[in-house]
Amino acid sequence: MTKDKNIHTTPEFGVDSRYTSETVYQSEATALMEARLQRMKGLSKDDVIRAKLMQLKLKMQEFIKQPIHEKQHYFSIFLQQYIDTIYSKRTVFANDMGITPVQLSQIINNHRTPQDDFILKLMIHSEMIFKDVCDFQKELWYQVYSHEKLCKMMSTQHEWQAKLKQEVCVSEPIAKYEKKDK
Amino acid sequence: MIIKQIATGNLHRVQITPVQTNEYQKITKARYFFNWKTEKKYEVYKLCMVDSSEILGLISLQRIPNEWRVHIRLLTVSVENKGKNKAFEGIAGNLITHAAKIAILEYAALACVSLRPKTEIAKHYINTYNFMATGLTLSIEMPEIINLINRFDHDEG
Repeated sequence: MTKDKNIHTTPEFGVDSRYTSETVYQSEATALMEARLQRMKGLSKDDVIRAKLMQLKLKMQEFIKQPIHEKQHYFSIFLQQYIDTIYSKRTVFANDMGITPVQLSQIINNHRTPQDDFILKLMIHSEMIFKDVCDFQKELWYQVYSHEKLCKMMSTQHEWQAKLKQEVCVSEPIAKYEKKDK
Repeated sequence: MIIKQIATGNLHRVQITPVQTNEYQKITKARYFFNWKTEKKYEVYKLCMVDSSEILGLISLQRIPNEWRVHIRLLTVSVENKGKNKAFEGIAGNLITHAAKIAILEYAALACVSLRPKTEIAKHYINTYNFMATGLTLSIEMPEIINLINRFDHDEG
């Protein structure tokens, strides 16, 4: 066995999985897809829910890492996805959260700002749901909400800055202290 | 995500981020076994400890949306982390998990991560990460893919 061959048969050194030709790719892809479709038939409803919840968590984590987004209501989008993954009817979720279906509908459709109380309950709810799926930092909901708020504020600066600037002044500018020090 | 320093048993937090164009210069074949410059048009990620810029492992990925699949094109650890005398444990596992997270993020329950190692080492990937074999291709799908993520990826508390 050559030295080079030794390297390439050491498992943890890595893998070169590049397809050598389009023909090889096509034939292997077809066989893999057929096998996967067979295996997918055995997936349980719970497996699908777990995958969707994991996907939701990863989406939320991606969102809070992004700098400033366009104006979009990510909190309510993620909330809808969360509810629709677990519940067949949103009214049941509203009941579980101790709010009315109308209140929930208003939050989802961005006609009502979610109150702290709602977000705290959502954190508790998520903790119960995710415990059998994956690690989930319950504060992620608050982080999404705050990040969305920040994005909204920063992307609408032109609307509020000029007006509010007139109401703000600095009575004791830093220059004053600089003079004192001298 | 964490890796274990074999000599001390200490755990170190790592991060996986995209390789920047100007970094390919230092990614040599001598340290990382392949010519990584040819992978520039794909998604290439590096694994480093959070407080270091030293690249401990690399992965090149191809998303294949019409098959709900993320294919691992190339995967490697740095020369110091190969074989019995490796410095850290868990580099390859974390990189594969990164591919798994992308697959779940994109395709949820349909997600699949594939690779096609040489026959001699296929068994290692089947035994260590629960890949399944279809001809020469190994793949990990639901529910094993979630178990893999849960094994290597822990939210920072």
